Amino acid sequence: MNPQPYFRTFTTPAVLCALGLLAAMAAVLQFSLRAYIPGSLEPGGFTLANFTDLLKPLYARVFLDTVQICFLTAVSTLIVGYPLAYALVRTQNAIAKSILLVIVVTPLFLGEVVRTYSWIIVLGNNGFVNSGLLGLGIIRQPIQFMFTRFGVVVALVHVTMPVMVIMLAAGLSHIDRDYQRAAESLGAGPIRVFLTVTLPLSMPGVVAGVTTAFAWTFSAFATPQLIGGGRVNMISNLVYQLGFASFNFPFAASLCVAGLALTIVVLSMLRLAARPLENIGSH
Amino acid sequence: MNKAADTGARFRSIAANDGAVRFDAVTRRFGEITALNEVSLSIRQGEFMTLLGPSGCGKTTLLNLAAGFLGPDSGEIRIAGERMNDVPTYRREIGMMFQNYALFPHMNVAGNVAYGLKARRVPKRDRDRRVEQALALVRLTGFEDRMPRQLSGGQQQRVALARALVINPAVLLLDEPFSALDKNLRTSMQLELREIQRKLNVTTIFVTHDQGEALSLSDRLAVMSEGRIRQLGTPEEIYRRPCDRFVASFVGDANVLRGRLDGIEGTMAVIAVGIARVAVPRAASMDVAASAPVDLFVRPEHLTMTEATESCATSGTVVAHVYQGGYVDTYVECPESSRDRLLVRSGGNQALTRWPIGSRVGISIATGEGVAFA
Amino acid sequence: MYQRLLVFVGRVAVLLILGFLVLPAAVVTIAAFNDKAILSFPPQAWSLRWFAKAIAYQDFREGFRNGLIVTAWSSSLALVVGAMFAFVLDRYRFRFRKTIEAILLSPLVIPHFTVGLGFLILAAQVGWNRTYFIVIACHVVLVLPFVLRSVYISLRNLDQGYERAAASLGASPSRVLATVTLPLLLPGLVSGWLFAAMLSFNEFTASLFVTAQRTQTLPVAMYNYVREFADPSMAALSVMYIAGTAGLIVFANAYLGLGKVLNIEQSR
Repeated sequence: MNPQPYFRTFTTPAVLCALGLLAAMAAVLQFSLRAYIPGSLEPGGFTLANFTDLLKPLYARVFLDTVQICFLTAVSTLIVGYPLAYALVRTQNAIAKSILLVIVVTPLFLGEVVRTYSWIIVLGNNGFVNSGLLGLGIIRQPIQFMFTRFGVVVALVHVTMPVMVIMLAAGLSHIDRDYQRAAESLGAGPIRVFLTVTLPLSMPGVVAGVTTAFAWTFSAFATPQLIGGGRVNMISNLVYQLGFASFNFPFAASLCVAGLALTIVVLSMLRLAARPLENIGSH
Repeated sequence: MNKAADTGARFRSIAANDGAVRFDAVTRRFGEITALNEVSLSIRQGEFMTLLGPSGCGKTTLLNLAAGFLGPDSGEIRIAGERMNDVPTYRREIGMMFQNYALFPHMNVAGNVAYGLKARRVPKRDRDRRVEQALALVRLTGFEDRMPRQLSGGQQQRVALARALVINPAVLLLDEPFSALDKNLRTSMQLELREIQRKLNVTTIFVTHDQGEALSLSDRLAVMSEGRIRQLGTPEEIYRRPCDRFVASFVGDANVLRGRLDGIEGTMAVIAVGIARVAVPRAASMDVAASAPVDLFVRPEHLTMTEATESCATSGTVVAHVYQGGYVDTYVECPESSRDRLLVRSGGNQALTRWPIGSRVGISIATGEGVAFA
Repeated sequence: MYQRLLVFVGRVAVLLILGFLVLPAAVVTIAAFNDKAILSFPPQAWSLRWFAKAIAYQDFREGFRNGLIVTAWSSSLALVVGAMFAFVLDRYRFRFRKTIEAILLSPLVIPHFTVGLGFLILAAQVGWNRTYFIVIACHVVLVLPFVLRSVYISLRNLDQGYERAAASLGASPSRVLATVTLPLLLPGLVSGWLFAAMLSFNEFTASLFVTAQRTQTLPVAMYNYVREFADPSMAALSVMYIAGTAGLIVFANAYLGLGKVLNIEQSR
């Protein structure tokens, strides 16, 4: 009797997909090593010029900006998302829980464009925030949110929240309630219980959330493009501009490769830094 | 443990006559279900009180009310004379042991045991000393740096006990702490717990559904079902003189024989079972007319198998033997039994050969042993 | 009392954060009913005309249609591929198991613009760059990780005792699969499919790279619109989007239990 029936049938499609993805990545790598011929879509011969060009301050700056924005977003999302995740997991009322869940999860499925567009209406000079503040007399001139890094980060935090909350909630829900009860029975007040028991034990969820948030933000395009308007550029925007404005696909490809390397480095560092934290949470 | 210098001592000095823990007409509902129905219970200082009953009887709810994880819908809870209804868990002087120990996985043994002391802001030197004493008490000296996941079940349990006791609680609450242990370990842990408890004289409330455990450990036990205490008494009282059918069948094995009330003689009632007359202590439900049918509850060890003569209470056919090592459980098919099979327990193993399966046997009832209910 | 104060502060904080989450949706909804053609707030007059315009707008209609085609194909394909591989991952041991899994899960960390660029280059080199095929292939690769994880979790939660019981009663592996495993796995499969479909329909960045004028999906059409025009048609479209999505989520929560699917149920 075959102990593993259907093996071939079940694995082949997946292997094909994996190969497809590898082929796409190989295509990017290949292009990054080819020269750019202005005016043509065909790449030229082998060269490392694309990568050396990356070291120019103009591009290095974009890399730095991207990393900064991603970190800022990830940390802000963590701070804002944690209370929400906690409420989601600890609420007893089933209806309240459902409402919370729907509100948290829905933005995830609205897509970048709809969400970013909504933020334009909120942050614009004629938008919600400015109209409100002007109307109340708190300010006399509209505050510039659009085309600023602040505006981009705020919108990015909103975009990343669902993911962070879900990961945090998953981590929190796996903490046995008895730990909290034991701590209470030993005389620890609510704040002490949170700081010494709940928070440490939620670390695996925190690490997963921050890591995912970072990767997601790195991938963001519409938000920095529409709200940044060309003044706040992340790597994604640069790749698009190079590809579709100048048709410099080789250079765009090299940006992708460098970006990927950067992501891997940062995520690995996050992982390493988080290893001691993850161990304490294992139970 | 430096008893004089800690907060627990304050409680103990007050509690002498007041009862260390008191429940006054406590009621608690969950939606439509009444988990506790006007339950009153007074537990003495230093007493080991067991709450025994089937699942859903309310014993865990009562424990959680004592701990403060739940509040009563009505009634009062007092610990050492002070009203605890509005006092949150972390301000009650309780020590609790959980079914799955709940040792903090991110702290080592010393950290776990010291947790309650840290919460009470005990200075480091005193903390270290008391942790050491607590670990010595549970015979885990030297385990300070181990992590919970490196410990065996029994060791984890002892750490949990040390952690609960080091803070000198006014009352120790145990929620079926031994149910996860295998039999041998369970017995030795039970003995250890009792020794430590006696030594420290700490009031203890113990919840279990295992009546053997309840009988062996308690000073007094409360048999509960459906939100009420059916009977409160020492293990011996409960076992020998159950107050109603539920207690009689829940605690220990019981045979039920159909009989008639022959007459009342002072504090004893005479029950007629077949030809035999059995005198049993008169129960509260005995205010019935003579010759009224009653059920006689008799423990398996109070029945004896003899030749099937007329002077026996009843007779029957041997259906099965279950050899238990030190004794034999014999099942006898008998018409007088209200549950169609009698269980007779006899020491040694003579029953196996003397009364083979299928043989007719007479049953006699030890005098004075048994309870009757109308 | 102290504890009540803490709870109150906590509730206020959560409400504020919820307000932050809901703010853009609320604002865009109000803006969509604006009678004027400029993107301003608050509206002076109310009208439904942007809804009519959005529905009638050719690019949006085509984008919607293309989106449906791409989504239907890619989520279904991803479901089949992902479910089969999750099965094999859960039950069998074989070489390169972890490698293939890692590759298939990598789109979670590879930026979408990189995947999009890769597929674009690949397509251009074989001449497929104006077809649906390349878009579908790209989407399959992007949503596969989610399907894989969803089905894998369902498989892990499935008690294999049922399958063994069926086998002991004489059912062949294919019968067990069809009559026991699949039905029990259905909630996980449906939610995986739903998740994939929603992600695929809304996918933007990679689609921007791999779609052409005639294959562009709705998000790409919306993006192009926003870059050129500033009237509230987009707002109206967004409102319809939000309403539809929220409705789907409420439905999914009621029938599938989102909490279980997302693995955030309270353990005790």
